[in-house]
Amino acid sequence: MDHIELSLTQSLDHCIKCNICTAACPVAAVTDAFPGPKYVGPQAQRFRHAAQPVPDASVDYCSGCRVCNQVCPTGVRIAELNARARAQMVAERGMPLRNRIIARSGLVGRLSCGPQAPLVNLTLSFAPARWLIEQVLGIHRHAPLPKASTYTFQHWFRRRKSTVAGRRPKVVYFHGCSTNYYEPHVGKAAVAVLEHLGFEVIIPPQRCCGLPLLSNGDFPAAQKHHQYNVAQLLPFVRAGIPIVGTSTSCTLTLKEEAPELLGLHGDDVRAVAAGTYDIFEFLRNLHERGELRTDFRSIERRLPYHPPCQLRAHRIGRPVLDVLGLVPGLHLDESRADCCGIAGTYGLKREKYQIAMDVGKPLFDFVQASGQNLALCDSETCRWQISGATGVETRHPIEILAEAYGVL
Amino acid sequence: MYDTIVIGAGLAGLMAAIGRAERGEKVMVLAKGHGTTHWTTGCLDLFAEVDDPIAGIIQLTDQRPHHPYALVGLTMIEQGVARFRAICEAAGYPMVGNFNRNLLLPTALGALRPTAFAPATMINGDARQLRDGRPTLIASFGVLRDFFPPLIAANLRAQGIAAEAALLALPPTGRQHDFSPVILARMFDQPDFRARVGEQLAAFVRKGGYARIGMPAILGLKHPTEVVRDLQNRAGALIFEIPTLPTSVAGMRLYHILENALLSLGGRMQLGGFVQRGEPLKETLVAVFSEAAAREQRHTARRWVLATGGILGGGIRATPEGHLRETALDLPLQTPDSRSGWFAARFLAEQGHPVFQSGVRVDRSLRPLDASGRLVYENVMVAGSALAGFDPVREGCLEGVAIATGWAAGQQ
Repeated sequence: MDHIELSLTQSLDHCIKCNICTAACPVAAVTDAFPGPKYVGPQAQRFRHAAQPVPDASVDYCSGCRVCNQVCPTGVRIAELNARARAQMVAERGMPLRNRIIARSGLVGRLSCGPQAPLVNLTLSFAPARWLIEQVLGIHRHAPLPKASTYTFQHWFRRRKSTVAGRRPKVVYFHGCSTNYYEPHVGKAAVAVLEHLGFEVIIPPQRCCGLPLLSNGDFPAAQKHHQYNVAQLLPFVRAGIPIVGTSTSCTLTLKEEAPELLGLHGDDVRAVAAGTYDIFEFLRNLHERGELRTDFRSIERRLPYHPPCQLRAHRIGRPVLDVLGLVPGLHLDESRADCCGIAGTYGLKREKYQIAMDVGKPLFDFVQASGQNLALCDSETCRWQISGATGVETRHPIEILAEAYGVL
Repeated sequence: MYDTIVIGAGLAGLMAAIGRAERGEKVMVLAKGHGTTHWTTGCLDLFAEVDDPIAGIIQLTDQRPHHPYALVGLTMIEQGVARFRAICEAAGYPMVGNFNRNLLLPTALGALRPTAFAPATMINGDARQLRDGRPTLIASFGVLRDFFPPLIAANLRAQGIAAEAALLALPPTGRQHDFSPVILARMFDQPDFRARVGEQLAAFVRKGGYARIGMPAILGLKHPTEVVRDLQNRAGALIFEIPTLPTSVAGMRLYHILENALLSLGGRMQLGGFVQRGEPLKETLVAVFSEAAAREQRHTARRWVLATGGILGGGIRATPEGHLRETALDLPLQTPDSRSGWFAARFLAEQGHPVFQSGVRVDRSLRPLDASGRLVYENVMVAGSALAGFDPVREGCLEGVAIATGWAAGQQ
């Protein structure tokens, strides 16, 4: 038993059954399909055994938002228990075709992105096509799907002329699938900011971080992705070059989700985890060392900001508020909603779409009540969900920072 | 860099943070999770051993000069409680009671529990009113676990209160199972749901002539005052709430009210940040490190308030070897010398068990001291149940000490 297994097992005994997690769980609040974190986590775990069939399928309704971990006063690692229980269920019962598709965001992205993107986007905005997809695959017809890009971020990066010259400190950018196939503008903003700060940006070959596979319970496939990424990133980490990412769920996966859920604790995996930063975490660290440029243009705006679950799971506070708080004139109103509901691929599923919309309602109300035509969020799937539900445009905070630096 | 970082999100920590934010400081509350507010009754126990809490406290501070109440003094106790009540009042959730006579409110077992201040939603359950001879109905839903009206009513009758019990039919909700106090409280926030419940209560009142109805403390999470007023109008009887087992809706309301007050003052909250160690520079605490993904997060501040709770709240933990440890900063603890001194011989010993008086010894400014009385950190203050020299549950002063010392830490 490795130390993670041990800490998971031991954390069961830290549960004092106070139900704070269930009181805070945004999913249990809107549906009784999910009895709550305490029941499917520490309680049901006592009835799970590797050699016995899974006793309870309701754990599949856990969205993995980790609000339970965040509020637990005794430190029980409920979300990890649930993710592992789901993987055991998938290993036992198999995985529906729908989940196999949506869990492979790299593959889906590759197929959608490119010259064919307009056609793909048109098809996916065509109601009868979405109805058909719902009938055949079980992806809800109203679920928010991103617009594919006509070019990949990697393609853009290779073809561009770097604006920096001479010896500069290096930084590796982990762009993730969404930036590469759907939102190259996020990556462009990140590169522009990092180069403005004097870094040389390196983009090594990389695959999907594996989070959609982890959250859909396909651990063996996720492990392959993670091992590939670790192999690619390790030489840079060993050379002291930090890895930064704009997708807060990708960086969380590299830091913690993949190593912990998959039980990978080798030196290489640990080194990559310890060398990975959410981009605003990285920028805040620069600022704390007095190394962040603050030659900002003033942006006279008041914008709603939602710190997504996957960012909160880093347990690093609110680096976006800390950094964007330096921009003159800019005021961010932090959402206090627990979750947007989408939880990666959860809200795409036909049987879970309405739950996701109900979970996200307080956030949608908050964004709409702001009266602004733009909202900020660090996570791509949350942005798509917020925009889909409210009609309000959403952006990654790095895009606002690039604007403040005047580099876009 | 913050002016003040408060470690712990219970009553003590939130009151300290509000105090400092009101002075214009940049403040953050850093906590492992939700505070023990969610485990407690949502009332304010000042001192439960005597009828007159303030007289009891005055006597106590004479006899026990190291009791937290004695360290902060009567003025700070009264000011802290007054500020706390003003915050609740401004949130539309008045805390009713007084400093000189404890209320006696029914528990979920039908025992009578002394407390100094209670939310207005509970106040009609004061035993002095219940003993006026007019009948009281205790009512709940069968689906709510750990709250049994017949048991409560029987125990109240044994104490001379004319109480009867009824189970209400749950209005249709679209939900088949898992009716926790919080789920039910959210339903009561909805007018249609409570109208249906109100109809049933009115029918019971018509039949049984009840003057008062006691219900579990699930009457609304966001708008409890309005819910109770509405139910009283519909039922034609006074309504009072009885605290439930955790998760306590009444406790959550206090947490939300104080959290809102802090955030509206520009303070920040970071939950899920378990503080594991401090970084000292001689007698100054320079930084603390909280647990985070892949590596610790370092936090810096000029001043710190440690309000992590005692043995109950998790601020003090026992190691397998039988030592007690303060979990965040590893401060020296005042505690029985060895494990054999932790407990009295009898489980229900009147003086309680020595281990529950364990905590951090502090000076009059609430700054931590070591065993020889030397100052450990000049810029750290300790508040609430992490303090040594009192037994919060047995003495019935958990919230009182939290608010008084938290407020004091926010002022000095």
